[in-house]
Amino acid sequence: MSAGYTLEELLIARMAREYRGNAIGVGATILSDLSARLARVLWVPDMFLMTASRGAADPDASAKSLCDEWVLDRTSRMSLDWVEMFHLVAHNRLQIWLGAVQIDRLGASNISVLGSWDKPKVQMVGARGVPDDLWGCERLCYHMRRQTTRSFVEQVDFVCSFGYGERREQFGARAAKPGMVVSDLGVYDFDPSGGGMRIVSLHPGVRFEDVQKRTGFPLTRPSGVMAVTAEPTAQELHVIREVIDPHGIRRLDGDGTDTLLMELWQQELERAGVSAAN
Amino acid sequence: MDKRLSLEAFTASLEPGMRIAFGGGGIQRKPMAAARAIARSGLKDIDLVTFLGGPEIDLLIGLGRASRLSFAFVGFDAYGLAPCFRAAREAGTLPIVEYSEATMLAAFEAGAKNLPFLPTRFGLGTDIVTTATSPFKIMTCPFTGETLLGVPAIRPDVALVHVNMADKQGNAIIHSDAYADSLMVRAARRTILTAETVVDELPVDQSRRSTFISRLWVHGVIEAPQGAGMTAMFPDYRFDLPRVLEYQKKANDRAWLEEMIQEDAK
Repeated sequence: MSAGYTLEELLIARMAREYRGNAIGVGATILSDLSARLARVLWVPDMFLMTASRGAADPDASAKSLCDEWVLDRTSRMSLDWVEMFHLVAHNRLQIWLGAVQIDRLGASNISVLGSWDKPKVQMVGARGVPDDLWGCERLCYHMRRQTTRSFVEQVDFVCSFGYGERREQFGARAAKPGMVVSDLGVYDFDPSGGGMRIVSLHPGVRFEDVQKRTGFPLTRPSGVMAVTAEPTAQELHVIREVIDPHGIRRLDGDGTDTLLMELWQQELERAGVSAAN
Repeated sequence: MDKRLSLEAFTASLEPGMRIAFGGGGIQRKPMAAARAIARSGLKDIDLVTFLGGPEIDLLIGLGRASRLSFAFVGFDAYGLAPCFRAAREAGTLPIVEYSEATMLAAFEAGAKNLPFLPTRFGLGTDIVTTATSPFKIMTCPFTGETLLGVPAIRPDVALVHVNMADKQGNAIIHSDAYADSLMVRAARRTILTAETVVDELPVDQSRRSTFISRLWVHGVIEAPQGAGMTAMFPDYRFDLPRVLEYQKKANDRAWLEEMIQEDAK
């Protein structure tokens, strides 16, 4: 992208538009965590942040670090225990951007295993809280780090949350609906009548053909002019760069190498005055 | 009642087949000193339980000590997958029972209340209910007729929790995130705490960011400075990123893992 911002900054600003106040706002990926902080600074000042730790809950928005607890400690108002957290989930007080490994055409998601559950091709982390967030949240939003035919699939290998279709008809009048999906290529949502994933906008410079090539099911080309994802404003860029991520942790989203991670780690220990040998 | 004991005395009390639950979450406040001591003791056929597992679970799996694992998550949070857990699952050699976070909390709460089960909506309609080892039962609410998920109690034989500070009698304080530990110790038949520090009496004041565990739930207290090893122990020490990355690269080498459990710290 040749503009004066990075893809990471575009995504943070876009995801930040999806929160409401007086409720918990959580981003489970680096960029969506930053989007919750940005939203609190600019749009929803009474949002309850729970970035990286229930133990340092309801803090002010602060600079993201690899050991957030040590920073959030200064302004955190409480330790939210997990029992209370799920009481809040049950009362629709959680809004969340999840990071899934697979999302499918009808909005089901998977973070547990690839291949069969009995003998997986890839064992990931387990279903974690996704089957629970499904029963309490109004909708589940997803930040998909890289859109490919393996991450955007016709049908997920293991259903951690269901989308539209048969299971919703059987179980799901109260279950969360699949909400927004944001990837490195575009923004999507789901047809509430069960017609599947739809394009909301594509990021600047991205063509429909590129997106279709990196999607494991047929997408419908929207009629009329293709909407383009809004670029981050000067104000949003300022808050991202100076307030919530001055250390550039957001770069880890696109560069998962140990080199960048260790560089950020060393800088963090130096700022904290901790010796690396400690 | 002075409940202090040594790691060795604790591990000598364990028997093969016991259901042992580990507190903390991911790479935070994991009872690493206890896990290493269990590994050194040679204990086999451990029926592992963890809400959010990390390196403590992974190393016991890697050393072939687990007969089964019940969990909602195993991993290194934002810093990668658990290598031995992954290898064992992909080889098809590790029996597991997969929960979600809220269904495992329900299982601990049922255990804590001495009930056979508790109903939830959490997890309903997802594939945690369809696995070959699913402990859940679809049920009908006797009052409203709504479809719910019945979650049977988990009653671990032993719960292990690493705390910031404990007194000799077993009162303890956890700073920051307590994960499922408060419920887990009430569900367990026996709770053993490892503590960064053991004191005569806990300080009276407590911040709103701390969790208190009563001595009434605790059977043993072990002093274990740096007892969370490579995982974070707020506010005393951060997680050890270089060690975490090294573990992920090397833990599938059995010899390296055997050596790692001999170390007292890290």
